[in-house]
Amino acid sequence: MIFIKVKCFSQVKYALGVDELTFQLDEDSTSNDLENIIRKKAGPKLNNISLRIAINQKYLIEETILQDGDEVVFIPPVQGG
Amino acid sequence: MIIVEIISEPIESFQPQNNNSQNGAELVFNGRVRGVENGEPIKYLDYEQYEGMAETELRNLANKACSKFPINDLFCRHRVGKVKAGETSLHVVILSKHRKESIEAMDWFILELKKHVPIWKWAILKDGIRVPSECAH
Repeated sequence: MIFIKVKCFSQVKYALGVDELTFQLDEDSTSNDLENIIRKKAGPKLNNISLRIAINQKYLIEETILQDGDEVVFIPPVQGG
Repeated sequence: MIIVEIISEPIESFQPQNNNSQNGAELVFNGRVRGVENGEPIKYLDYEQYEGMAETELRNLANKACSKFPINDLFCRHRVGKVKAGETSLHVVILSKHRKESIEAMDWFILELKKHVPIWKWAILKDGIRVPSECAH
């Protein structure tokens, strides 16, 4: 098993109601697996909201196998400026 | 020279020393908070960042802007936390030989910032309700 920390911002925080979550996952779990878990947990509040994924503060280009201790953020559309 | 900062205090303008006599243009952009969002008056916006990654992405974009356009300096301050209507949330200064490259670089930099830098805003409505801002212009 691996432990993954998920930090929540903006609409993800709004949908889940928390700043941070920890998940215990199977060793071969991927970023897409975790996104599916997050979307299921959030329910309809994340419908139609695109999420980019950052692992350890870097945007992912493609689906990746998660490693124990990874910090994952599902990034809704950003709004700086 | 590149300086990027994400701060929680009111933004003070950069005052670049024009030691480079090649700079014929100094372009300044100040982004300010509007008092109305989607037709509803707001008390303030609360900017939230993914600390660490936001500043790294901002610096990466500043480096890319300086590679992509013939500009000499780019200075950027982005404010996070509570920003009242009328206050500045983003301050960017670009110096270059001529105005055209500064204007093009400024437009590109701000567009890219709004696509990639993990900063979000929450609108605090007049009745105190806090909702994710829908504004991404």
